[in-house]
Amino acid sequence: MRVTKLILKDIVKTFELPTIDRSETAKKAAEMMLETHCNHLLVPRHTKHEAYGIVTKKDILAKVIAEGRDLREVKVEDIMSRPLVILTNLSLDIRWVAKAMANSNVSAIVVFDKGDFYGYVTESCIIDGVYNAMRRAKLEEGVDFVSC
Amino acid sequence: MELRDIISKSVPTKVKSDATVADALVAMTENKTDYVLVDRVDSNDAYGIVTRWDIVGKAIAEGEDITKTAAVAVARKPLVVTNNMDLDLRWVAKKMADEGVSKVAVFDREVFLGFVSDLDVIAATLRKHPKEGKEVSA
Repeated sequence: MRVTKLILKDIVKTFELPTIDRSETAKKAAEMMLETHCNHLLVPRHTKHEAYGIVTKKDILAKVIAEGRDLREVKVEDIMSRPLVILTNLSLDIRWVAKAMANSNVSAIVVFDKGDFYGYVTESCIIDGVYNAMRRAKLEEGVDFVSC
Repeated sequence: MELRDIISKSVPTKVKSDATVADALVAMTENKTDYVLVDRVDSNDAYGIVTRWDIVGKAIAEGEDITKTAAVAVARKPLVVTNNMDLDLRWVAKKMADEGVSKVAVFDREVFLGFVSDLDVIAATLRKHPKEGKEVSA
């Protein structure tokens, strides 16, 4: 059973990420992450000449808490990453999606389809996609899926 | 806020020492967790830990056949551990950032207590500053 049959379009999540303004505090960002159970927040741009940003739980952990700074005083714009890492080829094999994540050392990639926002993909999308593909393959063989 | 206050005594999911990456992936998904422990061969061996990131970045990205690659090949082994229960959360966060991990194993002397994750640290730090409606909406 190979996983290489999966392409980006099979695993991408098409709903939008929660957004947070970059003038908000890191505390607000952490609260939103815990409330929405989403580890990534999109930071919208103010003018169209700017780049979108993204803030993750790793940013909060490594750049605020580990440095002993106060969550209430740090602004999102100080810890966010931008510009985003994006992919535009929806038929890309998930191997190369995984490689793009590993190369850029990010946990979320934003996906555009011909210039329009399409969705995003995280490492858990890849894991879920592979799990479901393995399960389907087993079911097609007529074997009840037995976990280890 | 210290490590002692946030450690959860949950029992981690384990896979056998000869498990493949696919086994680890299935165990992870079915137990709705984001990491699994790879058991040790004997008492002189170390435990390993496999997270979603390990599977994505080291197995799938390299085009490995996940049903053949061993879980230990992508595992972080030995574990990043801490045994100081009085450690301030700031230094737990620093340890995670320095080592590039999201889970730290906590031992009290020889007793394994569980894992503390990056989300636990963030949630605990937030609890230190309870919600103030005005400041958040401002």
